[in-house]
Amino acid sequence: MAEITFSGVTKVFAGNVTAVDSLDLHVADGEFMVLVGPSGCGKTTALRMLAGLEEISSGTLSIGGQVVNNVLPKDRDVAMVFQNYALYPHMTVAQNMGFALKIRGESKAEVERKVREAATILRLGDYLDRRPRALSGGQRQRVAMGRAIVRSPQAFLMDEPLSNLDAQLRVEMRVEIARIQRLLGVATVYVTHDQIEAMTMGDRVAVMRGGQLQQVAPPQALYDHPANEFVAGFMGSPPMNLLRVRTSPSRGRVGIAVGDQRLDVPAAYGATHDLPRDEDAEVVLGVRPEDIDVVGSDVSGPTLKTRVERREALGAEILVHLSVADSGPASSVAYDEDAVVSRPTTLVARMAPQARVEVGDVLMVRLNEERLHFFDGRAGVTLRRERV
Amino acid sequence: MTGSTLGARAPRLTLRRRRQLAGALFALPAVGLVAGLIAVPIGQAIYYSFTQWDGLTSTWIGPSTWTQAFHNPNLWTALENNAWLLLAVPFALGLPLLIAMLLHQRVIGWKIFRSIYFLPTAISWVVLGLVAERFFAYQGTLNSLIHFFGLAHVSTNMLGYESTALSALGITFVFTMIGTNTMLFLTGLATLDTSLEEAARIDGAGRWRIFRHITLPHLSRFIQLAFVMTVIALFSALFSLIFVMTGGGPGYATTTMEFLIYQTGFAQGDFGTAALYGLILFVLTAIVGIVQLRLIGSDE
Repeated sequence: MAEITFSGVTKVFAGNVTAVDSLDLHVADGEFMVLVGPSGCGKTTALRMLAGLEEISSGTLSIGGQVVNNVLPKDRDVAMVFQNYALYPHMTVAQNMGFALKIRGESKAEVERKVREAATILRLGDYLDRRPRALSGGQRQRVAMGRAIVRSPQAFLMDEPLSNLDAQLRVEMRVEIARIQRLLGVATVYVTHDQIEAMTMGDRVAVMRGGQLQQVAPPQALYDHPANEFVAGFMGSPPMNLLRVRTSPSRGRVGIAVGDQRLDVPAAYGATHDLPRDEDAEVVLGVRPEDIDVVGSDVSGPTLKTRVERREALGAEILVHLSVADSGPASSVAYDEDAVVSRPTTLVARMAPQARVEVGDVLMVRLNEERLHFFDGRAGVTLRRERV
Repeated sequence: MTGSTLGARAPRLTLRRRRQLAGALFALPAVGLVAGLIAVPIGQAIYYSFTQWDGLTSTWIGPSTWTQAFHNPNLWTALENNAWLLLAVPFALGLPLLIAMLLHQRVIGWKIFRSIYFLPTAISWVVLGLVAERFFAYQGTLNSLIHFFGLAHVSTNMLGYESTALSALGITFVFTMIGTNTMLFLTGLATLDTSLEEAARIDGAGRWRIFRHITLPHLSRFIQLAFVMTVIALFSALFSLIFVMTGGGPGYATTTMEFLIYQTGFAQGDFGTAALYGLILFVLTAIVGIVQLRLIGSDE
């Protein structure tokens, strides 16, 4: 078992395409690190460099303190689970799982013992003599896991291992993989584009975008204190509402204009955030869907008058799409792309299914004043002084 | 009243029976075509093998053709030649496999090499035979090369001696098969999931093990197909090469069953015996095919 360190690791593909740009990341021994991001963010390339399947253009990559830039995959002592499982089709489950051990020259009895052990952990005991094509998707996935764990490697590398499974099986395997990883305590780098997997499985989550690392933090910290607009929008489903607004200070307090409504920013934010003091500065206000509540018209705090545009019932909750009501005539809310970009005034709120909300209702909503997020209007980075 | 709950009129045939009948009716045209093109000529060949036939009129002579044919040393020579030529098959599969593996590595200029290797396939075997004849001739390219390397004492007329002519034919045959088999193996390699190879690399396998445990099992079906095609070509498509290169000689040194059929029928006008030889060749080819199908079947 070992720790993994990327220092300034860069991958440039032919045609001068930078897939991974100076990645600095440390995975502690036994840690479950999730690399998450949209397609093309460089997460899989980073994993493949770690596996030795891609050469490193610059920077150093070390496993267990040893620089592995020029070490062949077979000598890195890492095991990888592929998205399509990559099971050897002509071998049985037992042969698939024991292949690496056989190559390593372990005795037949030893290989058999280890395969049996792994099969027990993965509940594959009854399928050892089957070929991969006679297995279901979930079973194949478990064999791929088995092939990795029999080797007792220094690290597990997993490349979207659940993306080919149906939704229910994915939930089961999510738990299963996390359980096995905790059981074995092997450092794991897990690549996914699914932020729910990232939130539920990782000890820490590294969010990537365009080849660059955006933020690394434990899942809850990432959710509560996103380092920038991208992370705020990527983590969470539905994502955080991000409103491009302008400051409008009044009587010594920072206020912001949302549409043509004014919202007072609680004074406490002055102590923790670098909010612009000048008039008409652009900032991005972030508020999670669960931090929006319907209130009466007489309450204090950051409130907005909104109109219900759409209502999505999800069973356990409803998602309510709200437009920040303009005081002008209704026609001025007509769809205008430029207006939407420069003055976005739509919010998604998560409400209890009992909430009596219908399309067209005009609601007064309050934003949870302890959980507002502010980002720089240009750079998109958080205005919070203490970073996670 | 008893019977169907669906209505008063019970169907005369069960659904299963009707499906079987429909299947048979649909298969009938294909069965007819196969029978017409294969079964009838085979039947005719069997019939003519019991006749004396000059191509126009046939006279029934009974099994005497059969007894005489098996005492004909030329038949045994031809069968022996066919057997010796089978030694070319491993080369006709191994070389293309090697070439395909190299091309699959995407070496510099692999597209040009691919075209070069495939080119002979697009050329008539008559032309290939002529080129080969010039290559092996006493004053041909092979001996020029031997002279060039200062080995004049080993220069030889390969097509001129009974001991070497069959080898020259075998080598030419291997050359003619390289293009097709290389393409077949390249296709097989293209369908190999690259993540399997990557998984094996991470599992600790080196090049040889990856070839032995991943590539080769994946290619096995392509190799089986190439084997069948190569053996069938060897038994039934060498005519043009033999005709152009050696005419079956010297003596009967390069006469295969196929060429013997031609000689017996068209050169000697004995179509009855030629029909019998045709039957023997058919049985030999069929045995190879059936054994191969069994092997493929047992793999599943």
